[in-house]
Amino acid sequence: MTWVIAWLLGLGTLAILGLLVVHLVVALVLIIPTWRICTRAGFSGALSFFHLVPLIGWLVVMAILAFSPWPNGEASSSGPGV
Amino acid sequence: MGVEIAAVMSFLGLTSAFAVVAAVLGTWMAWRILEKAGYPGWLSLVVALLTLSGVAWIVALVLLWVFAFMRWPRDQPSGGMAVAGTSPGAIIGPAPRSIGAPSRALPDRRGWRLVGMLPSGTGIALAIAETTASWVVTGAATTKPGELSVPDPSVGQPHARLLSAGGRLGLEVLGDGETFIDGARLLPEHGARDISAARLIRFGKVELGLSRA
Repeated sequence: MTWVIAWLLGLGTLAILGLLVVHLVVALVLIIPTWRICTRAGFSGALSFFHLVPLIGWLVVMAILAFSPWPNGEASSSGPGV
Repeated sequence: MGVEIAAVMSFLGLTSAFAVVAAVLGTWMAWRILEKAGYPGWLSLVVALLTLSGVAWIVALVLLWVFAFMRWPRDQPSGGMAVAGTSPGAIIGPAPRSIGAPSRALPDRRGWRLVGMLPSGTGIALAIAETTASWVVTGAATTKPGELSVPDPSVGQPHARLLSAGGRLGLEVLGDGETFIDGARLLPEHGARDISAARLIRFGKVELGLSRA
Protein backbone atom coordinates (compact mmCIF):
# COMPACT_ATOMS: atom_id res chain seq x y z
CA MET A 1 0.00 0.00 0.00
CA THR A 2 2.83 2.37 0.91
CA TRP A 3 4.52 1.92 -2.46
CA VAL A 4 1.25 2.75 -4.23
CA ILE A 5 0.97 6.05 -2.36
CA ALA A 6 4.63 6.83 -3.06
CA TRP A 7 4.07 6.01 -6.73
CA LEU A 8 1.05 8.30 -6.92
CA LEU A 9 2.93 11.15 -5.20
CA GLY A 10 5.80 10.71 -7.63
CA LEU A 11 3.40 10.74 -10.54
CA GLY A 12 1.81 13.93 -9.23
CA THR A 13 5.17 15.63 -8.88
CA LEU A 14 6.06 14.60 -12.39
CA ALA A 15 2.77 15.95 -13.70
CA ILE A 16 3.31 19.30 -11.96
CA LEU A 17 6.84 19.52 -13.34
CA GLY A 18 5.55 18.71 -16.80
CA LEU A 19 2.89 21.40 -16.54
CA LEU A 20 5.49 23.90 -15.37
CA VAL A 21 7.77 23.15 -18.32
CA VAL A 22 4.88 23.39 -20.80
CA HIS A 23 3.77 26.67 -19.21
CA LEU A 24 7.27 28.14 -19.48
CA VAL A 25 7.62 27.07 -23.12
CA VAL A 26 4.22 28.54 -24.05
CA ALA A 27 5.03 31.73 -22.13
CA LEU A 28 8.33 32.06 -24.00
CA VAL A 29 6.58 31.65 -27.35
CA LEU A 30 4.21 34.47 -26.33
CA ILE A 31 6.81 36.70 -24.65
CA ILE A 32 9.01 37.17 -27.74
CA PRO A 33 6.36 38.68 -30.08
CA THR A 34 4.72 40.54 -27.20
CA TRP A 35 8.06 42.12 -26.28
CA ARG A 36 8.34 43.38 -29.86
CA ILE A 37 4.76 44.72 -29.87
CA CYS A 38 5.25 46.50 -26.54
CA THR A 39 8.48 48.19 -27.63
CA ARG A 40 6.97 49.24 -30.96
CA ALA A 41 4.03 50.74 -29.08
CA GLY A 42 6.44 52.62 -26.83
CA PHE A 43 6.08 50.55 -23.66
CA SER A 44 8.79 48.61 -21.87
CA GLY A 45 9.31 45.17 -23.32
CA ALA A 46 9.36 43.82 -19.77
CA LEU A 47 5.55 44.07 -19.79
CA SER A 48 5.57 40.87 -21.81
CA PHE A 49 6.76 38.97 -18.71
CA PHE A 50 3.14 39.13 -17.53
CA HIS A 51 2.74 36.04 -19.72
CA LEU A 52 4.49 34.14 -16.92
CA VAL A 53 1.45 34.74 -14.71
CA PRO A 54 -0.82 31.73 -15.25
CA LEU A 55 -4.34 32.21 -16.64
CA ILE A 56 -4.66 36.00 -16.48
CA GLY A 57 -1.19 37.20 -17.51
CA TRP A 58 -2.04 37.56 -21.20
CA LEU A 59 -5.20 39.49 -20.30
CA VAL A 60 -3.13 42.01 -18.32
CA VAL A 61 -0.71 42.59 -21.21
CA MET A 62 -3.55 42.96 -23.70
CA ALA A 63 -5.42 45.34 -21.40
CA ILE A 64 -2.37 47.61 -21.11
CA LEU A 65 -1.87 47.62 -24.88
CA ALA A 66 -5.56 48.09 -25.59
CA PHE A 67 -6.51 50.77 -23.08
CA SER A 68 -3.35 52.83 -22.55
CA PRO A 69 -2.28 55.50 -25.03
CA TRP A 70 0.72 54.29 -27.01
CA PRO A 71 3.73 56.55 -26.31
CA ASN A 72 5.01 56.01 -29.86
CA GLY A 73 1.69 57.04 -31.40
CA GLU A 74 -1.39 55.31 -32.71
CA ALA A 75 -3.25 55.19 -35.98
CA SER A 76 -6.48 57.19 -35.64
CA SER A 77 -8.98 54.73 -34.26
CA SER A 78 -11.80 54.02 -31.89
CA GLY A 79 -12.51 50.52 -30.69
CA PRO A 80 -15.93 48.93 -30.47
CA GLY A 81 -18.01 50.45 -27.77
CA VAL A 82 -15.85 53.50 -27.49
CA MET B 1 -20.71 11.01 -4.05
CA GLY B 2 -23.22 13.70 -4.91
CA VAL B 3 -21.04 16.33 -3.27
CA GLU B 4 -18.06 15.33 -5.43
CA ILE B 5 -20.16 15.48 -8.60
CA ALA B 6 -21.49 18.90 -7.62
CA ALA B 7 -17.96 20.12 -6.97
CA VAL B 8 -16.75 18.88 -10.36
CA MET B 9 -19.74 20.46 -12.11
CA SER B 10 -19.15 23.77 -10.30
CA PHE B 11 -15.50 23.68 -11.32
CA LEU B 12 -16.41 23.00 -14.94
CA GLY B 13 -18.99 25.78 -14.82
CA LEU B 14 -16.49 28.26 -13.44
CA THR B 15 -13.85 27.37 -15.99
CA SER B 16 -16.40 27.65 -18.80
CA ALA B 17 -17.53 31.04 -17.55
CA PHE B 18 -13.90 32.18 -17.32
CA ALA B 19 -13.25 30.94 -20.86
CA VAL B 20 -16.24 32.84 -22.24
CA VAL B 21 -15.36 36.06 -20.42
CA ALA B 22 -11.69 35.75 -21.44
CA ALA B 23 -12.64 35.14 -25.08
CA VAL B 24 -14.93 38.17 -25.21
CA LEU B 25 -12.45 40.41 -23.40
CA GLY B 26 -9.55 39.14 -25.51
CA THR B 27 -11.42 39.79 -28.75
CA TRP B 28 -12.41 43.28 -27.65
CA MET B 29 -8.86 44.18 -26.59
CA ALA B 30 -7.38 42.66 -29.77
CA TRP B 31 -9.85 44.84 -31.72
CA ARG B 32 -8.48 47.97 -30.04
CA ILE B 33 -4.84 46.91 -30.43
CA LEU B 34 -5.30 46.20 -34.14
CA GLU B 35 -6.93 49.58 -34.67
CA LYS B 36 -4.14 51.34 -32.82
CA ALA B 37 -1.67 49.65 -35.18
CA GLY B 38 -3.76 50.81 -38.15
CA TYR B 39 -5.56 47.58 -39.06
CA PRO B 40 -9.34 47.07 -39.17
CA GLY B 41 -10.48 45.90 -35.76
CA TRP B 42 -12.83 43.22 -37.10
CA LEU B 43 -9.77 41.12 -37.91
CA SER B 44 -9.79 40.23 -34.21
CA LEU B 45 -13.10 38.42 -34.75
CA VAL B 46 -11.43 36.23 -37.37
CA VAL B 47 -8.58 35.43 -34.98
CA ALA B 48 -11.06 34.70 -32.18
CA LEU B 49 -13.03 32.31 -34.39
CA LEU B 50 -9.83 30.58 -35.42
CA THR B 51 -8.80 30.18 -31.80
CA LEU B 52 -12.22 28.87 -30.75
CA SER B 53 -12.08 26.22 -33.46
CA GLY B 54 -9.66 24.27 -31.25
CA VAL B 55 -6.83 23.09 -33.46
CA ALA B 56 -6.47 26.49 -35.12
CA TRP B 57 -5.04 28.14 -31.99
CA ILE B 58 -1.65 27.55 -33.60
CA VAL B 59 -2.76 29.79 -36.49
CA ALA B 60 -3.58 32.54 -34.00
CA LEU B 61 -0.13 32.10 -32.48
CA VAL B 62 1.52 32.39 -35.90
CA LEU B 63 -0.58 35.51 -36.59
CA LEU B 64 0.66 37.01 -33.30
CA TRP B 65 4.26 36.55 -34.48
CA VAL B 66 3.42 37.97 -37.92
CA PHE B 67 1.69 40.97 -36.33
CA ALA B 68 4.67 41.63 -34.06
CA PHE B 69 7.26 41.68 -36.82
CA MET B 70 5.36 43.00 -39.86
CA ARG B 71 5.16 46.66 -40.86
CA TRP B 72 2.09 48.33 -39.39
CA PRO B 73 -0.04 50.83 -41.35
CA ARG B 74 0.63 53.26 -38.48
CA ASP B 75 4.29 53.33 -39.59
CA GLN B 76 3.58 53.70 -43.32
CA PRO B 77 4.53 56.98 -45.04
CA SER B 78 1.57 59.33 -45.12
CA GLY B 79 2.65 61.74 -47.82
CA GLY B 80 5.03 63.92 -45.85
CA MET B 81 3.39 65.78 -43.03
CA ALA B 82 4.52 69.36 -42.52
CA VAL B 83 6.57 69.78 -39.38
CA ALA B 84 5.49 73.30 -38.59
CA GLY B 85 2.18 73.43 -36.80
CA THR B 86 2.25 69.91 -35.38
CA SER B 87 0.57 69.68 -32.03
CA PRO B 88 2.71 69.20 -28.91
CA GLY B 89 3.17 65.57 -27.97
CA ALA B 90 2.25 64.34 -31.43
CA ILE B 91 4.37 61.86 -33.32
CA ILE B 92 5.75 62.88 -36.66
CA GLY B 93 4.83 60.63 -39.57
CA PRO B 94 7.48 58.84 -41.62
CA ALA B 95 9.19 60.60 -44.49
CA PRO B 96 11.83 59.93 -47.13
CA ARG B 97 15.38 59.64 -45.79
CA SER B 98 16.54 62.77 -47.63
CA ILE B 99 15.07 66.19 -48.15
CA GLY B 100 14.27 67.25 -51.70
CA ALA B 101 15.34 70.28 -53.62
CA PRO B 102 13.56 73.55 -52.85
CA SER B 103 10.93 74.89 -55.20
CA ARG B 104 12.23 78.44 -54.98
CA ALA B 105 14.51 79.66 -57.76
CA LEU B 106 16.72 81.66 -55.40
CA PRO B 107 17.01 79.82 -52.08
CA ASP B 108 18.11 81.56 -48.92
CA ARG B 109 21.85 80.92 -48.54
CA ARG B 110 22.12 82.01 -44.93
CA GLY B 111 23.10 79.45 -42.33
CA TRP B 112 21.15 78.37 -39.28
CA ARG B 113 21.51 78.91 -35.55
CA LEU B 114 20.46 76.76 -32.65
CA VAL B 115 20.43 78.75 -29.43
CA GLY B 116 19.35 77.70 -25.97
CA MET B 117 20.30 76.82 -22.44
CA LEU B 118 21.73 73.60 -21.03
CA PRO B 119 20.06 72.13 -17.91
CA SER B 120 23.18 73.19 -16.02
CA GLY B 121 22.36 76.84 -16.79
CA THR B 122 25.09 77.34 -19.36
CA GLY B 123 24.10 79.02 -22.61
CA ILE B 124 24.75 77.28 -25.89
CA ALA B 125 24.78 78.53 -29.48
CA LEU B 126 25.43 76.32 -32.49
CA ALA B 127 26.10 77.67 -35.97
CA ILE B 128 25.13 75.52 -38.94
CA ALA B 129 26.78 76.73 -42.11
CA GLU B 130 25.31 76.02 -45.53
CA THR B 131 28.72 74.98 -46.76
CA THR B 132 28.57 71.67 -44.90
CA ALA B 133 25.81 69.31 -45.98
CA SER B 134 25.72 67.09 -42.90
CA TRP B 135 26.21 67.83 -39.20
CA VAL B 136 26.22 65.32 -36.38
CA VAL B 137 24.80 66.43 -33.03
CA THR B 138 26.58 64.68 -30.18
CA GLY B 139 26.70 64.91 -26.41
CA ALA B 140 30.47 64.48 -26.50
CA ALA B 141 33.06 67.10 -27.28
CA THR B 142 33.63 67.73 -30.97
CA THR B 143 36.61 65.89 -32.43
CA LYS B 144 36.24 66.62 -36.12
CA PRO B 145 34.59 69.10 -38.48
CA GLY B 146 30.89 68.58 -39.04
CA GLU B 147 30.11 67.82 -35.39
CA LEU B 148 27.99 69.93 -33.08
CA SER B 149 28.49 69.37 -29.38
CA VAL B 150 25.58 69.66 -26.95
CA PRO B 151 27.33 68.72 -23.71
CA ASP B 152 24.57 67.15 -21.66
CA PRO B 153 24.15 63.55 -20.40
CA SER B 154 20.69 63.36 -21.99
CA VAL B 155 22.16 63.87 -25.46
CA GLY B 156 23.35 60.75 -27.27
CA GLN B 157 26.78 60.21 -28.75
CA PRO B 158 25.81 60.63 -31.54
CA HIS B 159 22.24 61.86 -31.10
CA ALA B 160 21.02 63.22 -34.44
CA ARG B 161 22.08 64.40 -37.87
CA LEU B 162 21.30 67.80 -39.38
CA LEU B 163 21.14 67.95 -43.17
CA SER B 164 21.58 71.23 -44.95
CA ALA B 165 20.61 71.47 -48.62
CA GLY B 166 19.38 74.28 -50.84
CA GLY B 167 18.50 76.66 -48.06
CA ARG B 168 16.60 74.04 -46.08
CA LEU B 169 17.49 72.12 -42.98
CA GLY B 170 16.67 68.48 -42.22
CA LEU B 171 16.88 66.49 -39.01
CA GLU B 172 17.34 62.76 -38.56
CA VAL B 173 17.55 60.79 -35.30
CA LEU B 174 20.62 58.58 -34.91
CA GLY B 175 20.56 57.26 -31.36
CA ASP B 176 18.04 56.22 -28.75
CA GLY B 177 17.79 59.64 -27.12
CA GLU B 178 14.63 61.72 -27.34
CA THR B 179 14.30 64.30 -30.10
CA PHE B 180 11.38 66.69 -30.50
CA ILE B 181 10.49 69.17 -33.25
CA ASP B 182 8.14 71.85 -31.94
CA GLY B 183 6.94 69.38 -29.31
CA ALA B 184 6.41 66.48 -31.75
CA ARG B 185 8.64 63.51 -31.19
CA LEU B 186 10.93 62.40 -34.01
CA LEU B 187 11.74 58.68 -34.07
CA PRO B 188 14.58 56.91 -35.91
CA GLU B 189 12.12 55.15 -38.25
CA HIS B 190 10.77 58.52 -39.42
CA GLY B 191 13.99 59.25 -41.31
CA ALA B 192 15.02 62.81 -42.16
CA ARG B 193 12.45 65.58 -41.65
CA ASP B 194 12.46 69.12 -42.98
CA ILE B 195 12.75 71.44 -39.97
CA SER B 196 13.24 74.69 -41.93
CA ALA B 197 9.95 76.03 -40.60
CA ALA B 198 10.39 74.67 -37.07
CA ARG B 199 11.08 76.92 -34.10
CA LEU B 200 12.05 74.65 -31.21
CA ILE B 201 14.25 71.56 -31.38
CA ARG B 202 14.83 69.43 -28.30
CA PHE B 203 17.73 66.99 -27.99
CA GLY B 204 17.29 64.97 -24.79
CA LYS B 205 16.56 67.61 -22.14
CA VAL B 206 18.16 70.47 -24.06
CA GLU B 207 15.71 72.74 -25.90
CA LEU B 208 17.15 74.97 -28.60
CA GLY B 209 15.53 77.70 -30.66
CA LEU B 210 16.10 77.43 -34.41
CA SER B 211 16.58 80.55 -36.50
CA ARG B 212 18.43 81.76 -39.56
CA ALA B 213 21.95 83.03 -38.92
